[in-house]
Amino acid sequence: MDFSFTKKEEKFRLELRNWLEENLPTSWPEEEEAYISFLKDWQKTLAEGGWAGITWPEKYGGKNATLMQEIIYHQEMVRADAPPTINYVGIHMVGPTLMQIGTEEQKERYIKKLLTGEEIWCQGYSEPNAGSDLSAIKTSAVKDGDKWLINGQKVWTSYGHIADRCFLLARTSQVPGKKHRGITVFLLDMNQPGVEVRPIVQLDGRQEFNEVYLTDAVCYDADIVGEVDKGWQVMISLMLHERAGIGAEVFTLEKQFNNLVAMTKEYKVDGESLIENATIRQKMADLYARSRGAILNYYRNLTNTLKNGQPGAESSIDKLLVSELTKEMFEFAVSIQGPHGILWKEDAPFNSQWQEKYLYSYGTTIGGGTSEIQRNTIGERVLGLPKDLRA
Amino acid sequence: MDFSLNEEQEMFRNYVRKCLNEAGQTMVAREFTSGNTSGFLKLQRKLAELGCTGITISEEYGGLGLGALDLVPVLEEFGRAVLPGSYLETMAFVVPLLEKYGTREQKETYLPEIAAGERSFSVAWVEPNKSYDPDVIACQAEVKGNSLVINGVKTLVPDGNHVDSLLLIVRTADKSVNGDGLSLVLIDVSEVTNLKTLSSLDETRNVTEITFENVEVPMTHVLGEVNQGCSALKEGLLYLHAATSSVLVGSMDHIVEMSTEYAKIREQFGQPIGRFQAIKHRIVDMKLDLETARSLSHYANWALDTNQQDKEAAIYSARAFATEANIRLASHNIQNHGGIGFTMEMDCHLFLKRARFYENYMGSISQFREDVSKGLRWSDEKPSFQLTSK
Repeated sequence: MDFSFTKKEEKFRLELRNWLEENLPTSWPEEEEAYISFLKDWQKTLAEGGWAGITWPEKYGGKNATLMQEIIYHQEMVRADAPPTINYVGIHMVGPTLMQIGTEEQKERYIKKLLTGEEIWCQGYSEPNAGSDLSAIKTSAVKDGDKWLINGQKVWTSYGHIADRCFLLARTSQVPGKKHRGITVFLLDMNQPGVEVRPIVQLDGRQEFNEVYLTDAVCYDADIVGEVDKGWQVMISLMLHERAGIGAEVFTLEKQFNNLVAMTKEYKVDGESLIENATIRQKMADLYARSRGAILNYYRNLTNTLKNGQPGAESSIDKLLVSELTKEMFEFAVSIQGPHGILWKEDAPFNSQWQEKYLYSYGTTIGGGTSEIQRNTIGERVLGLPKDLRA
Repeated sequence: MDFSLNEEQEMFRNYVRKCLNEAGQTMVAREFTSGNTSGFLKLQRKLAELGCTGITISEEYGGLGLGALDLVPVLEEFGRAVLPGSYLETMAFVVPLLEKYGTREQKETYLPEIAAGERSFSVAWVEPNKSYDPDVIACQAEVKGNSLVINGVKTLVPDGNHVDSLLLIVRTADKSVNGDGLSLVLIDVSEVTNLKTLSSLDETRNVTEITFENVEVPMTHVLGEVNQGCSALKEGLLYLHAATSSVLVGSMDHIVEMSTEYAKIREQFGQPIGRFQAIKHRIVDMKLDLETARSLSHYANWALDTNQQDKEAAIYSARAFATEANIRLASHNIQNHGGIGFTMEMDCHLFLKRARFYENYMGSISQFREDVSKGLRWSDEKPSFQLTSK
């Protein structure tokens, strides 16, 4: 058992830390449009420093980072409160997929631009009637001469309103009783008449995701990733690629817990810090145990990944544990502010940062696979319980 | 980065598992509860031959000279089998205190015998209608020449009728007068005349009450300094609670296995009940608790061995979480089994009752949480983190 990092790993950390000290933006714009261009600038800065796609091979502008370097990267980004990566879909999904199975033309055309943030990508997966049951997608792509005509509707498309391109799942053939077959991955140009994007306002007031209506939107053969009708395999192989799992969320949880401790020391009710209240302190100790447990679980699964080269089924535990705990922690943070916890924006304690995180956290147990789907996965793949009946 | 038990530790686990399998796993506890201790005694000898009783004892006294983390796989296996006996108290309370505070003579007397499996210890701490608070200890030991004369009552002494010796906590002075006024005494059970076995919810451990009436022991039996017992106790508790969390993890491991296997084979409505999400998702939540407890407990024992700054918080958070989760899991296990889970025939009840034994053993969940808070110094420090403005 050894929780230390090697000298080489620490050197990598120092290198990144120094770079962040020099390059981290000092102020974040509030206004929506300015914020988007701020995030794009940040991505460009990252790419220029070689810090945008660190796990990528050097020839694509990456650092060929080891798994441990990837972990350190997440730790340092969280530690520095670095802005989020606006082209997350591009860097974590499209880039790695194209490197693995893309054509030379696709690699040439897309990889560099998505790394620098010049082209922003979104993910066209979910549909109104295909959420957890993703393989039920109905959006169709039909060959028409040298074109593919795409019709249907996508939903919960994050950054769809600013995206240039979409990593799109569409049905290219019907195989009765085999919903997973007949799906194809397309690289769709979002800037065309057949694509209409309608924003959706989230319950926390933010507008990050969208509905995307596709009416005879056009793609070409050259936009297909892998083979026609083999899109599901493309998606699965992509998931295996995610060696670091939910590192960023784990380290964020750790940081937020520490912030919560600071809040309970600073926030006073009737002249007494919240942490002096025994009931609150007891719950804090419980949250400490569980957040430490989640972080340590992550390290244990990471150890397995290091030993076996790829994550085991146990890593599916991390997402469920961390997202549920995050939600509970923020719920508690608002609750202990008492009647003042109901306030919002600048009227709320600490400019409503806890209220905002609380509301936002409801998305974490839905997005990227609901907690119920995670429980099915763990039950079936880790414990070997019988599979749900599926149509 | 390597957060896993090493190959030797896992190999040792396999030996212990094999030994327990041959003894019939929970069969040993079942026979024990019906008064037949022969299987348990035979198993104890075998485990001693395997080296279990020497793990944390230094090599010069016949042990293996290993640490708390090396005890973890053994304790987990014992937890899986709801094993009776006071291995926990002997190896994870008395041994570390003997190693640290024992005189040469005391070490020579006790450690080689413990290592050989020929001597076991229990702890006589709590008194009737009292808590574990050291301040309320009233069992009196008066210094008379080179002897101590002990008078008082100790209760809830686990396996007092099976062990060879006791670590007895007595008052040798008033708290305010001299140090904390407590002393630790090593005493053979054969010196004790008035021992009564109490009825207990968890019959896999015999709980006893011992009355001392002018029991005389030589001063050489005092472990550590007279009137300075409290700090030694605090230190011993770190070992005990780190180890207890491992026993709890072992129990939870077996519980999750039981529920999972049963859900795979038990059929209702023409299908295995594990297909129903009401059952499946509950077992998954149990698995989450198990893995969280396991991570906390492994880390706690590592932190203890390597004297990490956060060791108190690590140990007490592991103990608090595992204690509560173990009760929850043992309860869910009964529900998952339905009618058969409500019977004596199934093992479910053994795990539930043992879970209640540990709940308030040498502390309580709320106390452990206070210890976490103290370990992290939540109450006496300024905020150590800058609150980020938006």
